[in-house]
Amino acid sequence: MRFADFTAFDLVLLAQGLGVNIALFLATSLIGLVIGIAWAIVRYYRVPVLSEVITFVSELLKNSPVLVQLFLVFFGLPGLFHIRVAPVTAATITLSANTAAFIYVIAVSAIESIGRDQIEPARVFGLTRWQVLRHVLAPQAAAFAVGPLIALLVNQLQVTSLISVIGVVDLTKIGNILNMRTLKPFVVWTAVGLLYYAAAKLVALLGTRLENRLRAHSAWRGL
Amino acid sequence: MIKVENVKKAFGQTTVLDGIDLTIEPGEVVSILGSSGSGKSTLIRCINGLEKLNGGQITVDEFDVGKPRELAEARKRSGTVFQLFNLYPHMTVLGNITLAPIEVLKKPRAEAEATALALLESVGLGSRADAYPAQLSGGQRQRVGICRALAMQPRYLLLDEVTSALDPEMTAEVLAILAKLAQEGTTMLFVTHEVEFARQISDRIVFLDKGRLLVDLPTQEFFAADGGMAQPRVAQFLSKMRKD
Repeated sequence: MRFADFTAFDLVLLAQGLGVNIALFLATSLIGLVIGIAWAIVRYYRVPVLSEVITFVSELLKNSPVLVQLFLVFFGLPGLFHIRVAPVTAATITLSANTAAFIYVIAVSAIESIGRDQIEPARVFGLTRWQVLRHVLAPQAAAFAVGPLIALLVNQLQVTSLISVIGVVDLTKIGNILNMRTLKPFVVWTAVGLLYYAAAKLVALLGTRLENRLRAHSAWRGL
Repeated sequence: MIKVENVKKAFGQTTVLDGIDLTIEPGEVVSILGSSGSGKSTLIRCINGLEKLNGGQITVDEFDVGKPRELAEARKRSGTVFQLFNLYPHMTVLGNITLAPIEVLKKPRAEAEATALALLESVGLGSRADAYPAQLSGGQRQRVGICRALAMQPRYLLLDEVTSALDPEMTAEVLAILAKLAQEGTTMLFVTHEVEFARQISDRIVFLDKGRLLVDLPTQEFFAADGGMAQPRVAQFLSKMRKD
């Protein structure tokens, strides 16, 4: 066996790399989900100033490349504040914020998709704005949002490959190293691609299950 | 007592209510008749606080609907049934009915559910408590809508064209329930196109025309030739309705 061969052990290395991507994906998705929904609630209550600030920030995050945001956090912040930002920290901050921006948009449009005909009966029976959100709007909005949300998450999983650029040893980075060692780009990148595919497919599959559960009893079933 | 005093409401340039005065005493069944666009539904929506008034005042048992602090109290005293049912599609029939009693009146779940089941039983839907609105017919949905309003034990029931989205057969099943409620002494403000039914159950009939209250008479007098029928608009409206 030559040093340049692609071996079964290399697959283990790649799988470990995928583990880094998945861990980062789970962490940033969770943080992004919490922040994005919190922002949407602020917007639901029409908190003055804060609502506008959130919309502006989310616009910035949505309309600029994630890679640029990553560079800004990893290279820009240390330069400006004279702090050390570890690659994993920079990746977590950037991807969480980016995910939050998209989840904010999905949540807001989902809430706004539920008509006044649902809010009005709840209000005349005396439910508070919070109770209306909690019991009437949120469950219906969740069923509406789950489709776009899964699409977003599948994409965000793949976006985690960008962190290899700032030196986090993830699947793409390991692929890069193996590529240079074996000089078999087709084999290496096919293996890397398939691993991303498998992970993304898993996310999509779990998402479809959740979607079916949330929409089980809705009137628009079968549309 | 619901007291409507000189109420004015406009949507942009369009005046919908132009100085309405109306009083509903406890125990009364009052029907509101009038052509489409005469302001009937808007009047109901003003009483339950879904529309802000441009002028005048509405009080429900002395609580001013126009004041945010009193609105909550006023709303507890009235229950609304909607034209298009407006049930919550993601909740079962039981969930639809118990939501407000549990959240607003802070009733224990078991008690709220027992009340809801009794109400469902009384409208012939005892076996559908676990169904979702999408699984019910229109008439069944509206009967659930009525139960949802009654579960809050309102002093006044506001009914906004509750049968206009239903076919004659389903209309009959809903009207039968309202007739029963009227007999039991429930106070009702009943916006409707069902002239004959209004005649049977109402103590008083109010006729709206272009945002003005044209006639407010006891039912007998309203249909008398020298009463409400003396008004050309009323006679015209009733003759059209009878033809249909």
